[in-house]
Amino acid sequence: MADDLTGSTGQGEVTPKASPAAAEAKGGRRDLSLGTIAGKYGLLIFFGAVLIVFSLLRPHTFPTGENAESILTLAAPSLIMAVGLTVVLVMQDFDLSFGAMIGLAGGAVTTFIVTNHMGWALAIVLVLLMGAAAGLANGFMVSYLGGNSFIITLAMGTVLTGVEFALTHQATIYSGFPPTFLKIGQGTFLGLNNQIWIAFVIAVMMWALLDRTELGRYMYAIGGNQEAARLSGIRVKAFRVIGFIIVGVAAAAVGILLISLSSSYSPNGGATYLLPAFAAVFLGAAVFRPGEFNVPGTVVGVLFLGVIQTGLIMLNFETYVINLVQGGILIAAVLVSRLGAKA
Amino acid sequence: MTGPEKGLRIEARGLVKHYPGVLALNATDLTVEAGSIHGLLGKNGAGKSTIIKVLAGVVQPDGGEIRIDGEPTEIHSPHAAGELGFAFAHQELTDVPNLTVGENVLLGLGYPTTGGAFVRKRALRRKAAEVLDRLEAGIDPGASLASLSIAQRRLVVIARGLAADARLLVLDEPTASLTDAEIDHLDRTLKSLRDQGVAILYVSHRLDEIFTMTDTVTVMLDGAAVHHGKTADLDKAKLIELITGSVIAVEKRIPHTTPAAAPNLMEVKGMTIPGIVNNVSFELKEGEMLGLAGLVGAGRTELMRAIFGADRAASGEVLMRGKKMRIRSPREGLKAGIVLLPEDRKNQGGVLDFSVRKNMTLPSLSKFRVVGPAPFPSERREKKAAKDLVGRLSIKVANVEHPTRYLSGGNQQKVVLAKWLDSGADVFIFDEPTQGIDVEGKEEVYQLMTALADQGKGVIFVSSEFNELTGTCSRILVMREGELVGQFEGVDISEGELVDACYSHEAEPLAAS
Repeated sequence: MADDLTGSTGQGEVTPKASPAAAEAKGGRRDLSLGTIAGKYGLLIFFGAVLIVFSLLRPHTFPTGENAESILTLAAPSLIMAVGLTVVLVMQDFDLSFGAMIGLAGGAVTTFIVTNHMGWALAIVLVLLMGAAAGLANGFMVSYLGGNSFIITLAMGTVLTGVEFALTHQATIYSGFPPTFLKIGQGTFLGLNNQIWIAFVIAVMMWALLDRTELGRYMYAIGGNQEAARLSGIRVKAFRVIGFIIVGVAAAAVGILLISLSSSYSPNGGATYLLPAFAAVFLGAAVFRPGEFNVPGTVVGVLFLGVIQTGLIMLNFETYVINLVQGGILIAAVLVSRLGAKA
Repeated sequence: MTGPEKGLRIEARGLVKHYPGVLALNATDLTVEAGSIHGLLGKNGAGKSTIIKVLAGVVQPDGGEIRIDGEPTEIHSPHAAGELGFAFAHQELTDVPNLTVGENVLLGLGYPTTGGAFVRKRALRRKAAEVLDRLEAGIDPGASLASLSIAQRRLVVIARGLAADARLLVLDEPTASLTDAEIDHLDRTLKSLRDQGVAILYVSHRLDEIFTMTDTVTVMLDGAAVHHGKTADLDKAKLIELITGSVIAVEKRIPHTTPAAAPNLMEVKGMTIPGIVNNVSFELKEGEMLGLAGLVGAGRTELMRAIFGADRAASGEVLMRGKKMRIRSPREGLKAGIVLLPEDRKNQGGVLDFSVRKNMTLPSLSKFRVVGPAPFPSERREKKAAKDLVGRLSIKVANVEHPTRYLSGGNQQKVVLAKWLDSGADVFIFDEPTQGIDVEGKEEVYQLMTALADQGKGVIFVSSEFNELTGTCSRILVMREGELVGQFEGVDISEGELVDACYSHEAEPLAAS
């Protein structure tokens, strides 16, 4: 049944005539599936090769459990940010404001705890709500008022940074955090840093959302053909807003974690997370499901970038080399995922 | 099939093309010559579109060759096809709506410029006007393309081919959604082009046109050419036999009739979209199949979209079983029990990158949960339902996990239909559902619509092919310029009556009921 090409047209099987051309075509098809495998797992293979190269070059420091944990801890905030970003990108929307939201969240949680002597739990809840509110504002303007998500979120980023500076007066703060708050980012659970667990749980949640729930299916449908989704009765506008809210909350969580990890606040600390998050998501679209943003791919993308960064630092390359390599990888990833989509 | 002649001769020999799970071309031959109109026929998925894509350089064949005047030629890209003098008017319009008519006609051919940079608008218009005049199109080259009807836009696409001095003009379903008068016009235009030495490849499902327009035909079946010869040597029955690959009796359809006592299912009152639809009212009975005829641009699609809630600008009332419904979005339309199968299936019908399964379950995903209230779809249940629908609608696809993009146009349409089939809606609006679908597929669509009416659903069938309305509906409304201008009842409505009502301003206005 599965291979009955003719359906019920009553015409029997369509079988290629025994001509050289047909035989050639069959061979070509097998090639294509080989190409598909390369497209799906090419990044993983490359990832493996990079791990081997670093291990050979730095056999005593790179392939160690300690270094693995350090890479994972370093990657945890990026992972939270990138899996959140995956949700809006799936719907073909953009969010460029989350870098500023990370900074605002850090500034707000610091101000609430240190300056206003607020309980840390309440401060965290308030800051997460701020992230949701920023996402809601983005989403409302983009989805309901029809603003271009690129420009709206770029402008929103500037607004959020303004709010951050208004709260903190751009002061750097090193002290005054209660130990329980610092434990969130610095403590360990089952031998691993808490942040790794938090990032893991959030990644699994986002994977379940996109790949296992009705909402996720609708989000992919919106990205594939917004008008067809609307005519199928899907609440396109509301779901796009939900995407922005998820990014806002993820950014707020990252901002809080970074403060807890470093026990200090310095102004405008989120901007550096913008490109790595996008890079990871686009890299992720080059793996598993070529041409489609997906959470498992994003996870691979984040880990890959983390490994590259740590490895290059261990090899004593200067910062500019790391910039060149990261930018180059992002460009290559985007092009590779396009090739995958065409195959 | 004749000896060497002067002018272009394009031969395809043994073309083979695979798509995932589908053998689209199976050692196909095709010959097109200058100075003749060559018809290309076949069911949906027979491989017509694929062979055209090969000629256009969009798709590379896996095997076989193309000879142009005896020379083996590879067509690597659409650009290469253009260099060879091949021009294409595809089934789906491929024009740029935000440019003017003239800019579209000369698109990619080099605009007249001053100093190589600044477009000379007047010269451009004049040049485009020359080409449009050859087509007797009566279209202003300065008009914006978006303001034209679909028929006019098709002419613009053909004009683009002429402007490029095309040696081969390929028309894929050029008359879809064209009216009889527009088709006549096209017929005259193509014959004059043929006499000027252009080779024309003409793809159509409308058999009458094949007989009036073409000189020779190729019939394809399951990816292979099964007949090649003069059109005059064939008759309709023989042609249908070749297309379907079997002998089926050509019988006159008997329209669906509504039980006399059937209660009103839906009432539309005073539906108005400023400038497009003017104060339209009608009712639909339970178990009725209601036809809606009209010319392109009469406002039928807009009216249907307004009833469904797809466009907001409309005012008017929709009552379901006497109860007034609030329909301001497709979601509310669906809630009221109305579904719409849109005319533009490529842009509105389905998510082409989604698998057949995911498209089919999209509007009713919550019915396929693993357990009760948790919003997690069960892939196994979805698959079962999708396979069932594929069987019921005879959709030609090897595996329901294949992307819908790889299906032929007709099979894509069936996928769009499939997603609503079990939705439990009361009113089904089909907007040009058989556009670009082959004879057998059309019959299947008629049967599906009739079956819905037999179940007590209300079906509205919008079509520009009036014979399919008269063959299926026992009540047909006619729209002209945004108004209902005629209503015909009975099992023997003639096409002529409908055509008259579409054109004549003297047609009796619909009596208010």
